Amino acid sequence: MEEREKREEEKKSLEKWTGFREILNLITLTGFVYGPLDERLSIREALEKNLRKPVPHHVNFSFCLGGITFFTFLVQAFTGVLLLMYYRPTTAEAYKSVVHITNNVPFGWLFRNIHHWASNIMIIAVFLHMLRVFFYGAYKPPRDFNWVNGVLLLVLTLTFGFTGYLLPWNQISYWATTVGTEIPSAIPVVGDLIKVLIRGGTDVSQTTLTRFFAVHVAILPPVISAFLGVHFLMIRRQGISGPL
Amino acid sequence: MDNKEVDTKKEWEEEGIPFFPNHLLKEVIVAFLIIAVLLTLATFYPAPMEPPADPFTTPEHIKPEWYFLAAYQGLKAAEFLGFLGQWAPKVLGVFAQGLIIALLVLFPFLDKNPERNPKKRLFAIFLGIIGVVGFIFLTIWGRVS
Repeated sequence: MEEREKREEEKKSLEKWTGFREILNLITLTGFVYGPLDERLSIREALEKNLRKPVPHHVNFSFCLGGITFFTFLVQAFTGVLLLMYYRPTTAEAYKSVVHITNNVPFGWLFRNIHHWASNIMIIAVFLHMLRVFFYGAYKPPRDFNWVNGVLLLVLTLTFGFTGYLLPWNQISYWATTVGTEIPSAIPVVGDLIKVLIRGGTDVSQTTLTRFFAVHVAILPPVISAFLGVHFLMIRRQGISGPL
Repeated sequence: MDNKEVDTKKEWEEEGIPFFPNHLLKEVIVAFLIIAVLLTLATFYPAPMEPPADPFTTPEHIKPEWYFLAAYQGLKAAEFLGFLGQWAPKVLGVFAQGLIIALLVLFPFLDKNPERNPKKRLFAIFLGIIGVVGFIFLTIWGRVS
């Protein structure tokens, strides 16, 4: 019993030195967790409940890989929107606008380079996250559907990479897309139809660029956000998998 | 170990550490590391600026991004199936890739073993290692070929 009391004591002191209450009080000053808004939505209670949520002891840094993926996704969303302000999705202008972003737009080079590198890091993080879940056996019921959701997220991430690759409209992106979109044509019967559907014609052209642009900036972001939402909700409901 | 000790250990295990600040600190540390890596890479290794697209000149070596290299090399390696007929390499290659993705999606439903400890599910671990080694091998092969 004595040990239990000791731990109770520790918990209390922890609360003290973490300054949890002080931080909440500071946020209160902005008016968000105070007054009429909080009375109606009880934000303070929700915040406390979520921040207090216990995390199992066996959680180590390898459990951060999913968080890294989500963080790089946020970086991509932010830098992507900034690039969107200057990028022009036409065969005549795309390349020029990318050069313009890199050379003339203030900090354009920085955000383009971050967008480029964060995409690579995001894919590495997704792969490593998947391996972690696999080798920890964390995909087993009741988390089996979240694994399926995760594999779909991997496919969506790779589609992001594939569609984004064409947008600068340079030699490598043009020819890599030509070779890449040729692959589905190997499927019997419907293969050629799928190829034409992806390209919007028989060759990689303006229609392909428009299509990939639309997929990259308008279709994929809300779709992946929905899947991410479900992914997080399921983690919340089912908890982090127990120790091995 | 007497009963009481087991109880407290179990309790300790179940209680966990609070998300804030313990776990959040871990996530924040990692996030800052990622920012540092991103800024370093973005500053010193800019994204390549290739020549503009020219549909009339095919470059000599067309290779996809590194994360598609394994799939690309897998399709190329399927050419050894040519003895089955001209149709075989492409069709079987594409089907094999579809099958791998389907296996990946359905894996939790195929692996009925409830054990989570790696030592008690050697076959699944073996499959996982084969998958990783195969992916890395195909990627390197795709890079050097």
